[in-house]
Amino acid sequence: MSKVKTHKIIGLRSTLLAIVFFIFIILLSNQFDAYNQSQLTNIATLLIAVFSITLLTGASGQISLGQGAIMAVGGYSSALLVTRLGFSMWISFILAIFISALFGLFLGLAAARLSGPYLAGTTLVMALAIPSIAVRFEGFFSGDVGLSVDYGNPPDWLTNLLGEISIEVWSLYVVLPFTAIALFAVLNLSNTRTGRTWRAVRDNEVAAALAGINIGRTKVIVFVCASGLAGLAGALYGFRGLVAPSVYPTDLSLTLLTAAVIGGLRSIGGAIFGTFAIVFLPDLIEKITKNFAIPENIGTYLPALTIGLLLLITVILNPRGAAGALEHLRHRKRH
Amino acid sequence: MNSFLTALFSGTAQGAIYALVSLGLVLVWRGAGIVNFAQMGQAMFTTYIASQLIQHNYSYWSAFVIALVSGAVLGALVDLGLMRPLTSRKNSQLLNSQSMRTTIPVIASLGILGVLKALAGILWAGEERGFPSPVAPNAIKIGSTNLAITGFDLFVIGVVFLTLVLTTIFFTKTGMGLAMRASALNPEVTRLSGIKVGSVRTLGWAISGTASSLAGLLVTPRTNLSPNTLDLLLIIGFTAAVVGGLSSLAGSVLGGFILGYVISFVNVYSAPENVFIAILAFLLLALFIRPQGILGSKEVRNV
Repeated sequence: MSKVKTHKIIGLRSTLLAIVFFIFIILLSNQFDAYNQSQLTNIATLLIAVFSITLLTGASGQISLGQGAIMAVGGYSSALLVTRLGFSMWISFILAIFISALFGLFLGLAAARLSGPYLAGTTLVMALAIPSIAVRFEGFFSGDVGLSVDYGNPPDWLTNLLGEISIEVWSLYVVLPFTAIALFAVLNLSNTRTGRTWRAVRDNEVAAALAGINIGRTKVIVFVCASGLAGLAGALYGFRGLVAPSVYPTDLSLTLLTAAVIGGLRSIGGAIFGTFAIVFLPDLIEKITKNFAIPENIGTYLPALTIGLLLLITVILNPRGAAGALEHLRHRKRH
Repeated sequence: MNSFLTALFSGTAQGAIYALVSLGLVLVWRGAGIVNFAQMGQAMFTTYIASQLIQHNYSYWSAFVIALVSGAVLGALVDLGLMRPLTSRKNSQLLNSQSMRTTIPVIASLGILGVLKALAGILWAGEERGFPSPVAPNAIKIGSTNLAITGFDLFVIGVVFLTLVLTTIFFTKTGMGLAMRASALNPEVTRLSGIKVGSVRTLGWAISGTASSLAGLLVTPRTNLSPNTLDLLLIIGFTAAVVGGLSSLAGSVLGGFILGYVISFVNVYSAPENVFIAILAFLLLALFIRPQGILGSKEVRNV
């Protein structure tokens, strides 16, 4: 059955993969114009949130339609720390992870009692309610206007090293280390004892309980880890310019889930593929339809239609996503 | 006093609509073990159909009936075309996992929701439009004093009341209704006693589609119609279903009315911004105190 590897080799392999990923994105960004560089930053940011779904749904079988709301928690935490308390951006990102993880702890305590559709519905309600808290307590959270934050300017040592760099490139340099570390962490988790415990709970709760796994505690731990990741993504996402309710809409949660499903819920490579797909697909469609005289309203909704259909087709024909299809092909070749 | 009556009456009218949505969700949940997140997307679509018909000079009532029928057809199609093949595929590796068996249909229903919204946007341009009501939305007057209730509220309450009576008769007095209750309780035994469980299940989807379609027709005169209008209704309906008990039809209706009062009293006595937070708080409270719902029965987990 599944191969059990030792920690040491896993650590080395995931370190290498994270470094390869980092270098690949940097090289890719050198080929791009400013717009696509900022899209690449979006990918690197959202990827962290999609990883949180890979952990939550793929590895432990809990579904969340509210990861966008947890991103909002991370975004507001870091933005408030910077604007109100004068923290540095980097420290606020780290603290955002802990605050969102703490939030995930409370959420997880409630969610451990829930399964499947209950959890889906509750997190969906949360996705709607949490951004509205910012409007309700306008004095503290600045309401619909939001909090303006940005990545600032690159430090002198970096400009001395690389020459002048544009704001788009600097944004990517801020985000990418976090993405690489998140990738490293997620890669490690899935192959360790903890990851195997999570999968056992996912596949059969009763069997896992009989094997001595504390189901409730395991679910809460997954929620805490996933919330930390989503919160970090939310903080990075907000620092593109604005932390406001409109930055973290309900659709964001659904988009993240779509990315995870299209790529393959159980695969980290799939998460990367899915995130690239949802960010670049709308641009691609626009590029194609620009050559035809298509009415404006069709052009507006065509990306959403394509992504929705892609999600449906994936679920019906190939629920394991792009990564699953790839694995299937590889197996067939071998036999 | 007057604001209390306003909250009470508008809560009843709103609650009646929420009860329909929640009823639709529970019907599908009992029959198929799926929470259909696309339900109000389907309703949005059929309400657009009605709106198009009215724009092309059909009468309100013929559009009303056609919307209900297309709601039933759409519901049945979702089951036959998507949900049934999806859940009957037992040998798939992914569906072997316990949690994924409930997760995959949820994701599929979100896919349908996305597609329906985008289609509505493409077909009907996606800008907000009004939707007519057969009754004037003015407050009813006796002599010169305005009552706290509008004619439209009365219309909504009447239509929903009639629907609930018909549903009750269907489930308690007819063979088909009995078959639906039986197959929700124990599909295997029902199948053995000669009832086509599959068709019964599809019928459940169709009735659910009709109920939510009706909810769409009744709510849009107030909220206007756009591809996203009914999203909120789904969330409220879901909360109502959980509060009342996902496994109980009577509970779902009760939950709908409770939510109606909660929301309308928050609206009147607090502020509209607090509604979402109130819904979330209420849902969490319900899940902590009584996770099976007010009228729901406790779920037994089989090994």
